[in-house]
Amino acid sequence: MGPPPVVTGISPKEGPPGTRVTIRGEFLGTSATDLIGLKICGCDCLLSAEWKSKNKIVARSGPCKGRGDIIVTTRSGGEGTSTVQFRGYHESIGPVKESAVWVEEAAPPSLPWGRRPMSPTTYTPPDPLGLSTEGDDCKFPEEELHEMFPDGSGKLSDDNFQPGWYLLEHHSNTSYEDLKAGMVFLQRKVESQKEGQLSFLKANTGAVMDQLDRLVLLKNMYEEDQRKNGKEPLPSLQAAIEESITLADSLFSEILSRKDNADKTREALSLLTRHKFLFQLPASIDRNIRKKEYDLVVNDYTRVKNLFGNTDVKLFQKILAEIDKKIEDLKEKLYTRMKTMPINVQEQTKYIRLLISLNWDGDAAWVAITSRKEYLMTLMNKVKDHFKQKEEQESNEKGKRKVKESESCGGWSAVRGAWAAAAAGALAAQLHALWPLARRYFAGELAGEPQSTQRQAELKDMIIAAVELFSEHMRACLLAPGGKLVPTDTLRARLLANLRHLREAYDSLLKLDLPSQPLSIVEKVIFDYRVHGMSVFLQRAHKRVKGLADKETWKIEEFTDYGAITNLPHLLETYVNEAFAAIHKCVVSSGRRESPLLVEGGEPANTLHKHTQMILLAYVSVLQDLALHHDDQEFNNSNLSVALEQRLEEGPPAGRSWQQRLLLAGANAHYTRRHTLPSIAAAANTYGFPKQTLALQATKEALLGLESTIAETYLEHKGDPLVGTIEPSIDMGRHKTDADAVIDDARPYVYEIINNLIAVHAEVDSVCGAASVRYVRDICETVCEELARLAASAPPPPPQAAFQQRLEYTLLQQACAEHLTRKAENYLMEALAGIPPLESEEEKRRMDTIVEGFKKRMELQLASLNCHMETV
Amino acid sequence: MPRLCCCSCLEPRRGRTMSKKPAAQPTLHKVIMVGSGGVGKSALTLQFMYDEFVEDYEPTKADSYRKKVVLDGEEVQIDILDTAGQEDYAAIRDNYFRSGEGFLCVFSITEPESFDATQEFREQILRVKNDENIPFLLVGNKSDLADKRRVPLDACRERAQHWQVPYVETSAKTRDNVDKAFLTLIRQMSRLKKGLAAEVEDEEVKRRGNCCIVC
Repeated sequence: MGPPPVVTGISPKEGPPGTRVTIRGEFLGTSATDLIGLKICGCDCLLSAEWKSKNKIVARSGPCKGRGDIIVTTRSGGEGTSTVQFRGYHESIGPVKESAVWVEEAAPPSLPWGRRPMSPTTYTPPDPLGLSTEGDDCKFPEEELHEMFPDGSGKLSDDNFQPGWYLLEHHSNTSYEDLKAGMVFLQRKVESQKEGQLSFLKANTGAVMDQLDRLVLLKNMYEEDQRKNGKEPLPSLQAAIEESITLADSLFSEILSRKDNADKTREALSLLTRHKFLFQLPASIDRNIRKKEYDLVVNDYTRVKNLFGNTDVKLFQKILAEIDKKIEDLKEKLYTRMKTMPINVQEQTKYIRLLISLNWDGDAAWVAITSRKEYLMTLMNKVKDHFKQKEEQESNEKGKRKVKESESCGGWSAVRGAWAAAAAGALAAQLHALWPLARRYFAGELAGEPQSTQRQAELKDMIIAAVELFSEHMRACLLAPGGKLVPTDTLRARLLANLRHLREAYDSLLKLDLPSQPLSIVEKVIFDYRVHGMSVFLQRAHKRVKGLADKETWKIEEFTDYGAITNLPHLLETYVNEAFAAIHKCVVSSGRRESPLLVEGGEPANTLHKHTQMILLAYVSVLQDLALHHDDQEFNNSNLSVALEQRLEEGPPAGRSWQQRLLLAGANAHYTRRHTLPSIAAAANTYGFPKQTLALQATKEALLGLESTIAETYLEHKGDPLVGTIEPSIDMGRHKTDADAVIDDARPYVYEIINNLIAVHAEVDSVCGAASVRYVRDICETVCEELARLAASAPPPPPQAAFQQRLEYTLLQQACAEHLTRKAENYLMEALAGIPPLESEEEKRRMDTIVEGFKKRMELQLASLNCHMETV
Repeated sequence: MPRLCCCSCLEPRRGRTMSKKPAAQPTLHKVIMVGSGGVGKSALTLQFMYDEFVEDYEPTKADSYRKKVVLDGEEVQIDILDTAGQEDYAAIRDNYFRSGEGFLCVFSITEPESFDATQEFREQILRVKNDENIPFLLVGNKSDLADKRRVPLDACRERAQHWQVPYVETSAKTRDNVDKAFLTLIRQMSRLKKGLAAEVEDEEVKRRGNCCIVC
């Protein structure tokens, strides 16, 4: 026994029953007779099996379903195995499935289940010689074939088949060897078929017998059938069929008539409904309007117009007219509602849409926009009137108690603040409603063709008008000239609050994406208000500085490098700083999209500068007034002891003598110039204000002027009396002088001068400190000048007197060495020049001795003349 | 070297008798033949399976073949699904491709259209398998018809290089390189299944691809 068959290939691997499959494998039988069994998916397919070679069998699949092995059984090898599987499936026949059955010429006996899905075009009978015709391009011309074989045909299946034709047609290029091989193939095929039929019968004896049995059974059954139904079963069948036809017809017509009835009823019903709808519409419109279901009304109206718009029936027309009237009323009502303010945008939009869908003739959206704008205007005016009234009322009430209290608050009253807030709120809210409405209108969202450009311009004008009204009101409200002073803190708070209201309005307008023009109007208001706030602060500072005169207590606050000062410079600095701080805090910081307030060279910067200068100059004039104002009080020209008695620290401040006040003012001016002004400049710098150079410069000059005025005044009042005493003193001493007496000391007037100088020095030094030098120096100068004048006017003295005079001048020079200016020295030199020089060494020595003695005696006095307050 | 791998394909003959009692099932490699109609997919398959060259052309629907081969001393089973090249069946290809583990993408060197079509097949396979490294072999068939060649060798190599797959030229008629094509693919699949590192595989494939073109 040989090896068992193995199936290793199947083509195709799936298909419906009757599929022609090629089975490949090994040991599939040595010949056609060797093949004794073929099962595909368990279905016996031996009958259709066609043994080709030991490697190939062609068969048709049976009525199997699902996946299964292909089992080949051979006589020589027994039952085989399969490595591949076939899947049978049943095609479902649908209307689009190609299902015609074509009888195939070379088909094997058709099987009871077999269906042949192959279309004839794809079928070509295999070459009987088993040769490939592939690549056989050059065909034998057909006309020649027809000539050669007039009655023949080249088709294998035709009766008049001519082998010559076939060979010429298909194998004109085939080589002789191939043809021989084909011959052998054909012979073998014929052999195998002959042999195959015989062997087939032999091999299937059982099956043939079985078939015979079946045939007998069939015959029996047929006979029994005949016995039962008679020879002619057809008439009764026909009768039955006819009966069923009639029945089916009657059933069908019944159903048809029912359907007709149903259709008619439905039509009638719908007609009824429509009429009912029409007749009930007036009532339902009323109801819906009451319920504010305007959308429903619009829908109903549109529907009724569609259904009955073109009706000719009088009754319908009448009802339609009624409905139209209602709708007109509704339009009127909606129109009024839309125009009636206040109303929110959604609702207004709703009304606009309704009006549009009701074919209201007119530009509903535009009307809405206009009315909104009107409303905004009236609202603004209303707000204005309301607050004006309130203010008046308040002032009246208060008027009973305190006259004009409220009004004096001017732009800073609480009422004004509330007004600003209300107006800003109203503007923001209304523009918030108006602008989107307008935008949607122009975007065409609210139907109705916007007459673009003209309307756009109108809208812009409207908005600008509204904003301008607002700004006008705000100017009237906030920029009104302020009356009485309110406390700074309140002022600052109100300013900030008002600014905030304005800015909120501005912000909300910014968000709306408005055109720049109205925005800039509002921005201008804010800007002006900021400038206004700044000016108010500065004016306030100005006022306070002006009032400084009353605040001067003449109490010495501290001793500085520039002398003893009162609190005036500090107060000035504080006021200016406060004003700057308030300005910085309240108005300088810019809000969103606002221009910076203090641009170099800008209007506000100039205002600031002007005001600063005013403040500072006011301060200077205050100082001046304070210094030079005296109630005809004369200088205390008493001697040193009196001056020293009035100890500065202890003395009652109110009772400061004028000369002290003068000196203090001088010191104040000096301090202000050197210290306060730079610190004010620094403050301005810190707050980022523009440099106040010019104002500071002007002030500096004014202060310098003031200082020299003060110095002159002092000199005038202090030095003149002092100088005046010199001449009488000299004369007074002259009478007592003995011409022959030995001169060993200066005359008393020298001591008086020195004493007076010490007194002046003490006084000035106590007030002005380091700055005192100037005053003493001036006085020394005057004294020296006087001496020079006296020396020049007197006749040349005798030697004795000359010596005395020389001695006196030398002593004075020694005493005042520290305070002598060049000019003063010149004067002294001049005086000395008029005196004959010393004649002998002895005299010189004598003088030196006397000078030394003088120095020793006067050590304390000289020291006090040449020192400063601090060093004592 | 090319001889070496051809030798191994002669082995399976011995193994066939053993198929009666499948003791331990050898590894199964599912190969799918793709390519346009008429390029010789079925011819290659039948040549590989049965050393047979079928001259007459009958469009395939979907054929299934399976046999054992000894690959590098190991017995493996190869399951070949021979698919329809005709566009009529394009819609059901997805289903077939899903079950495939390795693909022989066949075109005819005498037919540029079939070469162009390989691009589409490649894309469809990558789309269905969603794996760039799926074992894949570009096969130029009908190398015996060198005089009718219309697809230049350079273009074939370039495309294989671009896809990083080996390229083999075969002739189903003369059985030239037929075994090599199948075995190269099976070797790829086998290695992949044994979990060899992907990059080693890639190198191997490149080297192998080049040498195949030479022979």
